[in-house]
Amino acid sequence: MSRVGTFTRRNLLEMSRDALSYIFCIAFPLVMLVIMTIVNQSIPKEGVTIFQIDNLAGGITIFGLTFVMLFTAITVAKDRAGAFLTRLYATPMKSGDFTKGYILPMLIIAGVQAVISFAASFVVSLITGSTLNVLGLLLAIVTLIPPAVMLIAIGLIFGTLFNEKSAPGICSIIISLGSFLGGIWFDAEQTGGVMLTICKCLPFFYCTKAVRSAIKLDITWDTYFLPLIIVTVIAVVLVLLASVAFRRKMKADLG
Amino acid sequence: MKNQPAFKTTNLTKKYKEKVAVDQLNLEVEEGELFALLGVNGAGKTTTIRMLTCLSTPTSGEAEIFGHSVTGDPDVVKAMVGVSPQDTAVADNLTVVENLRFMAEIYGKDGRESADRIIEDFGLTEVRDKKARTLSGGWKRRLSIAMAIIGDPRILFLDEPTLGLDVLARRELWSVIRKLRKRMTIILTTHYMEEAEELADRIGIMMNGRLVRLGTMPELEADTGVKGLEQVFVTVAEKEGVYHV
Repeated sequence: MSRVGTFTRRNLLEMSRDALSYIFCIAFPLVMLVIMTIVNQSIPKEGVTIFQIDNLAGGITIFGLTFVMLFTAITVAKDRAGAFLTRLYATPMKSGDFTKGYILPMLIIAGVQAVISFAASFVVSLITGSTLNVLGLLLAIVTLIPPAVMLIAIGLIFGTLFNEKSAPGICSIIISLGSFLGGIWFDAEQTGGVMLTICKCLPFFYCTKAVRSAIKLDITWDTYFLPLIIVTVIAVVLVLLASVAFRRKMKADLG
Repeated sequence: MKNQPAFKTTNLTKKYKEKVAVDQLNLEVEEGELFALLGVNGAGKTTTIRMLTCLSTPTSGEAEIFGHSVTGDPDVVKAMVGVSPQDTAVADNLTVVENLRFMAEIYGKDGRESADRIIEDFGLTEVRDKKARTLSGGWKRRLSIAMAIIGDPRILFLDEPTLGLDVLARRELWSVIRKLRKRMTIILTTHYMEEAEELADRIGIMMNGRLVRLGTMPELEADTGVKGLEQVFVTVAEKEGVYHV
């Protein structure tokens, strides 16, 4: 097995044995799905569509990915704080092996999280009588790859630049920003003005829009392809930045 | 013809801003030797090991491992060295066997075969499937050393391997180190006098980043005119102005 594969497997094993990963990456998004569905059942139907399952399913998965970002940052910061990474620096592993080895297992976790979230959303849609399109859900899983890579790269950058204590705090700012300005808990496009401009300046808005469009099979340039391309470009840039940040930090750590 | 040294340093120096951690170190260790670097905390032992294992870049001077420069040829050097850092550097949520397989595969070895062999050699069978975080200090240190040699290094660097261990765990680890000396060159840092005296072929004493004495135990005793490493160390420290009664 390659060094990247070996390091990926180690990270997957470490995370699968950490209860926090289940709480952050699986349980919390599911709890939010249930709570928001109850909210949707309790508010007047006219005008408010954001908590309807076809909108909620996409929002919840992006929300879940922000916790994968948090978990990435914690994992990397924790590894950096201990001597284990120092030991690995003295092996033939390169900085690229580390970054790939952190991104790949997180992508697998993000994939599992998306499948579970969409499966739960599908069950909710059956219960609430607004059945989700399975083809749309499958397309949404593929659509989630660029947002997942983008958020994992942000987590990798924070885990590289900050320590175990400050990285989660910084990530919680991003989670809040992503939740509000990404239109997860409200329809950003209904706001207009400065608010919409701010939302459009951040990548989270495009993540949510692309995934929601995929679920609804609303595949047009404006609703699906353009936001997906924007997110993909940002994801690529952030992965490159994360690689540079990790390489530089590794060099600095090595003094 | 003289054999190539396991490692050789020439005026090796490491500075952190104004602080000189290692000062013009000139040292040669032969292949198969068990060499102990002795010194109090902050003497420069760990910094020396970090430079020799490519974990830190020298400010000036040169270090070679079997003729390969640590700065010019780090990939070759990394493939030849194993290091057990001062802190027990293990993956906490992985079992003993998983930790060993992981390290073996990082060095391109067959993980299963290498891990089974090392578990047998190191007497790790009873803790084979225990997670690293549940191990006692002694077992963790033993695992850490096992992880350092699983890549079959030509030189093993042990940085304070018995630090914080009780006397029995320390003795057990000494017996592990004695077995290993037949297979590879070992560089050991310690501030336990009896450890260096018990295990090392030659001892180097570092103070304030400088190598101030070097030799076998009889040579050091003859040089200082006192018996026992502790007395030798205190005498040297007094002469160097590091220790005042």
